[in-house]
Amino acid sequence: MDEKETRLVELVLGGQTNAFEPLVTPYRRLLLTLAYRLCRNVEEAKEISQETMLRAFRYLGSFDRKRSFKNWLLQIEMNVWRSLGARTADEGTLRELAAQNTTEDPGERLMGNEVREKLLACLDGLSPREREVFLLRDIEGRSIKETAGVLRTSEISVRVHLSRARAKIRELVKERFPGLMEGRR
Amino acid sequence: MNCSRVRKWIPLYAGADLSARKTRSLEKHLERCPDCGAELEELKTALVSVRAIADQEILDWPEAEWKGLMARVQAEKPDRRPVTLPGAIPKKAWAYGLAIILIAGIAFLIMRSILSPPAAPLLSKFVTATPVQPSRSLKTDEATSFGYPRNTPFKVQREKAATADRATLAAGSAPEKTTQNVMSMTLVSQQTGLKVHWTFNRNFEWEEKKR
Repeated sequence: MDEKETRLVELVLGGQTNAFEPLVTPYRRLLLTLAYRLCRNVEEAKEISQETMLRAFRYLGSFDRKRSFKNWLLQIEMNVWRSLGARTADEGTLRELAAQNTTEDPGERLMGNEVREKLLACLDGLSPREREVFLLRDIEGRSIKETAGVLRTSEISVRVHLSRARAKIRELVKERFPGLMEGRR
Repeated sequence: MNCSRVRKWIPLYAGADLSARKTRSLEKHLERCPDCGAELEELKTALVSVRAIADQEILDWPEAEWKGLMARVQAEKPDRRPVTLPGAIPKKAWAYGLAIILIAGIAFLIMRSILSPPAAPLLSKFVTATPVQPSRSLKTDEATSFGYPRNTPFKVQREKAATADRATLAAGSAPEKTTQNVMSMTLVSQQTGLKVHWTFNRNFEWEEKKR
């Protein structure tokens, strides 16, 4: 956690809640995109991302400033994603928040829709845990240790799921995009 | 090293996540195995392609929604207390805790079985059932016949030299010099009430009663 983030956290905890926005703005795209890659639904991704922000604000006092703020946010988002996937009591809160926030912004743009669909077609073949590990390690570039920390699991478990995920991705890409593999054998 | 083992390592190797020792073994194998090398290349190509696609795929909040979200968030009160929910405790801590409890339980059971000898209650029965007073000596005949069932299959082999004297069976210090030639023991089962009488001579020998 850098000095700027530390200062902003102290300001928020000191009562200046408007300091929260500059604190989380650098991560707003990251959180929304990751949520979308996990759930493959824009509205649901917004719900997950909103709940992540709410929990981050609510529990900012318990954040250990020696840790990475980015990893802490990712950890919250993974928890939200899992709780949503498990259809727990949080669902009600999320649906309520979504109902308050249904305005379609004409400026919203998803870059490279066609390409994105191809990516999602590959991710669909992974189990939820494999998808989480693959996205954090291979797409977001977190280390094995950081990934284990975000997912609250062991490094061994991360390696096992990562290995399976990569092997599946290879098979899926080979099957769906055979042109990419030409000349590799 | 065979190909099937190496191919299990290739996915981690492709992302530089394999341990140094396995990496060395795998690289040696790759030098002489073109099939595994081709599989590695395929995997690397697939990962690079997916990463490239992912880099192009960025979602962002519409500005109005983002401002609305920040307004709602900031209307909340931050909780300054540390999170103490069970979910906040790492899984490792739960696993270690349960393992310690399990080990302690097993150790307790083992120690209990070691430290509580099964003869203890039987010995107390024996002491209370023996009418010998600490300061009193019995004749050998009395000692061997006392409480001894008539139909018991055992009998004591008396030593002639010993029977000439007055043998004693004393639980405490005898006032005069005595020789203990015979000892009897009664084992009583607490569960069934079954009693077993044993009588030993000084050599701890026994003889089956011949009818």
